[in-house]
Amino acid sequence: MEATIRIAATQLGKRVRMSDGRTLDILTAIDMQVNAGEVVAILGPSGSGKSTLLGLLAGLDQPSTGQVALLGQDLSTMDEDARAALRAGRVGFVFQSFQLLPGMTALENVALPLQIGRQRGARVQAERLLQEVGLGERLSHLPRQLSGGEQQRVALARAFAGDPAVLFADEPTGNLDAASGQRIIELLFDLRDRAGSTLLLVTHDQQLAMRCDRVLQIEAGRLQAGS
Amino acid sequence: MNTGWLTLAHWRSALRDPGLRLLLAALLVAVAALTSVAFFAERVERALQLQGAALMAADLVVEQGEAIPAEWLEKADALGVRHARTVTFPSVIIANERPLLVQVKAVEEPYPLRGRLQVQTPGGAAARPPAAGEAWLEGRLRDRLGAVIGRTDLRLGELGLRAGGVLLDEPDRGGNLFQLAPRLMINYADVQRSGLLGPASRVKYRLLLAGDADQVVALRAWLSERLPQGSELADLENARPELRTAIERARRFLSLAALCASLLAGVAILLATRRYVDRALDGAAVLRTLGMSGGAVMRWHLGQLLAVVIAATAVGSLLGLLGQQALVAVLGDWFGESLPLPGPRPVLVGLLFGLSMAVGFALPTLLRIGRVPPLRVLRRELEVQGLSGWLVWLLAAGAFVALMMWQVQDARLALGMALALVAALALFMLAGRLLLFLLAPLRRTGGAAALGLAALARYPQLTLLQLAGFGLGITLLLLLAVVRVDIIETWQGSLPPQAPNHFLINIQPDERSALTALLAQRQIPNSGLHATTRARLIAISGRRVEPESYTDTRARRLAAREYSLGFSDTMQPDNRVHAGRWWDSEAARRPAFSVEEGLANSLGIRVGDTLSFDVAGQTVSAPVTSLRGVSWDSFNVNFFVVGTPVLAETLPVAYLSSLYLDQASESLTLELTERFPAVSVLDVRPILAQVREIMERGALAVEMVFLFTLIAAALVTLAAAQVSRDERAREVAVMRTLGASRRRLLGAVLAEFGLLGLIGGLLAALLASVSGYLIAVELFDLPGQVSAAIWWLGIGAGTAVVALVGWLATRRLLGVPPMQVLNSE
Repeated sequence: MEATIRIAATQLGKRVRMSDGRTLDILTAIDMQVNAGEVVAILGPSGSGKSTLLGLLAGLDQPSTGQVALLGQDLSTMDEDARAALRAGRVGFVFQSFQLLPGMTALENVALPLQIGRQRGARVQAERLLQEVGLGERLSHLPRQLSGGEQQRVALARAFAGDPAVLFADEPTGNLDAASGQRIIELLFDLRDRAGSTLLLVTHDQQLAMRCDRVLQIEAGRLQAGS
Repeated sequence: MNTGWLTLAHWRSALRDPGLRLLLAALLVAVAALTSVAFFAERVERALQLQGAALMAADLVVEQGEAIPAEWLEKADALGVRHARTVTFPSVIIANERPLLVQVKAVEEPYPLRGRLQVQTPGGAAARPPAAGEAWLEGRLRDRLGAVIGRTDLRLGELGLRAGGVLLDEPDRGGNLFQLAPRLMINYADVQRSGLLGPASRVKYRLLLAGDADQVVALRAWLSERLPQGSELADLENARPELRTAIERARRFLSLAALCASLLAGVAILLATRRYVDRALDGAAVLRTLGMSGGAVMRWHLGQLLAVVIAATAVGSLLGLLGQQALVAVLGDWFGESLPLPGPRPVLVGLLFGLSMAVGFALPTLLRIGRVPPLRVLRRELEVQGLSGWLVWLLAAGAFVALMMWQVQDARLALGMALALVAALALFMLAGRLLLFLLAPLRRTGGAAALGLAALARYPQLTLLQLAGFGLGITLLLLLAVVRVDIIETWQGSLPPQAPNHFLINIQPDERSALTALLAQRQIPNSGLHATTRARLIAISGRRVEPESYTDTRARRLAAREYSLGFSDTMQPDNRVHAGRWWDSEAARRPAFSVEEGLANSLGIRVGDTLSFDVAGQTVSAPVTSLRGVSWDSFNVNFFVVGTPVLAETLPVAYLSSLYLDQASESLTLELTERFPAVSVLDVRPILAQVREIMERGALAVEMVFLFTLIAAALVTLAAAQVSRDERAREVAVMRTLGASRRRLLGAVLAEFGLLGLIGGLLAALLASVSGYLIAVELFDLPGQVSAAIWWLGIGAGTAVVALVGWLATRRLLGVPPMQVLNSE
């Protein structure tokens, strides 16, 4: 049986105009696919365009050329609203800078995607997820009252709320010390295994990449052959 | 560390900061609005004063019983002050062998110094004094004499005159309302030739003076040291009370409108600074890490603020000058001949205003920058403690009050505004806290509206700041949009189209019934008959009243003059008791006086004092039981001192009445003088027209000033919406990432801003109603009526406008790909 394709990019490119009027190609002619349940790493040095690629694949930004299909839907035919609707409840995110809303408690941050997806029992589910990531005692804490590692655990709980089909993780350990980073990675893989989500992980960490099913190497905006 | 180099380097990036740009715009609009108002108000005020001066035909008038010394004229010449002498005396004129009592007024060129003389001559309209041998006759004089202009010869003492023109209007005629005999105007040089000016004749010599304000003030000081006993100095300040009231009210309207505009601009500055500081904190933390002290970081930003103030003031003053010029262009016709040029003062005002506003409204918030901990580099979410919200607002309010005291020089207005401001802030903060408390449970639910409302609870500080900003903006707009119209309408309504335009004086008791019957028969609207008698104040609680015992010229003049004492059991509708009580039917049977407040203040009369008047050799004493405010510009029959009817029983009284005569019934004046020869008919239409004109111009000027308030209000709304823009942008990006739809986010924003607008509008309507009432009653002495429109306008428009602002601010964010915002962290 042929595997279901979750993410597909065809001749994807991103070009930006510099302040002096010149243009810069951040990504050029990217072709790639990620199948359901696969864990794929995009590995590359700083400035290679890997975070930009993640943003395009998740529909958070628009490409200059080429196409992206997410969960079988062509993003290029959709407007910002339709792309958001596609993500709601089915796509999770973990960012390097956590991206928790500072005015919301840990519980409210985790419940947010469930509320956006209009799921019942959002707070009960959120509470369970926070207990799973070991923050059952910190439900009413605001992000600024938590350490970096704790904030990223809240972000993980939020990412897995609603059992997403696809999870995008952008340098999830980039802002953490080695020990905290290691705990986050263990937690991430553990939660993914339980949820069975497709995971696309952007990292510059070779060791972390090696834990994935497949590694796509990117350099100067181009995917390297054989990766 | 060389902070100078850093300042330069930092400047380039700072100017790209939206917070600083908003601050610059707020200051620019504040200064432009303020200087426009200051320039324009100054010019309008000077124009209004000129008009007031027109009623005296001069800026300053000396009046005495003896001829004006030549030395005074030389002094006026030396100071460059223009002058003209007039002399008035009663005399008998003979024409067609008919003698008639006239009030002669001899004038010399260049009379009048202010205002216009209007004469109809056979050659057309003229505005000059009569030439030697020529006479201008008032219309009723011509009618009584049966004179033909250009042909009839008149005899005045030994002087032969030719009736040369009909005197239609003389600017200073209103100066003596109780002028009984008709006017005959002749040339000053003819007076001596008439041989009528004997030492005992009832002559009034006047010296009219006009010129540059400083020179007039200097001459006034010089003259007041040399005035002989019995001489009087009159300037606009103590000229006709009905006019002074009108000008004073017009000035207060302008001040109030200007203050509202500046207060709004101040709020915009406060909100803009908040955004600027929020964005500057990260950079400040980095500098602290690099070893810069908190004080140095602070000085750096202060330098930036100062540069912004200077730039905004320079450009703002220029815009202000252009703005007022535009106003003058629009209003040019309204101000008749020419509006005086603006002085340089408003530029200085603009600079000082800009600086003080920056210090009062921006500095308290800016202080947060100096307190930024270096650790924020690592923990960006670390809060930077600043002054508490209360204190920031209170400091701003303090700065504003200080500015008002200085600019408006009206302690009562400034204090009133300050109290209102503090009360308003307290109300917004209390209501805000209550709102936050009530919204807390909503954080548990997830609908679009709940999501938006919960956002209010999530950022309590921002919510309070925005509520106060929006609320104060709506309050001031309501005050100007609704209360302004109400007050101006009430003011103009105090002088209805059928306001009395003629007075009948010296009606004898036995003529009362016949006169009343005549007026009723002709259906002439009138005030009824008011008993009155001439009286001189001789003692206040046993102390003799002598002009010498007062230093103030107004008090001296009031102490020396004769009063028309009124007697009535009911108070005139335009009067308001400010101290004591008006007598009821029981008390009206006991002797008592009620005194006009201004007179009481000048002469030091209090409730409980006993006043003694000399009425034709008879002394009348009674206690003062009330002090009244009087709307002299109502043209009702009003008296400085009113006594209970019982006092009039033993006194010789005459009656007076006021009437409204339209064009059709104008012939009645002739009939009245024929049937009741002792009664004098006074035509006050020229004064009425002047007061109406001042009202109209005052109202129009306020309309113009209101435009600036609108601009300032738009800026406040923008600033209040921008305050939360960064947080909002991030929230929107995260929610979009998590799949929230555009509709849901807009719904949330509409709910959030709509509720802010609803509550802000509700509180604003409450505040505007209360302050509108107080402004009408306390500042303008008008009945306090605030229309119900304020409520639906405040709530409806408040909700709609604030929701719209939120929607516009968020709509733009929705078009931005989430990645752009998240990457900019």
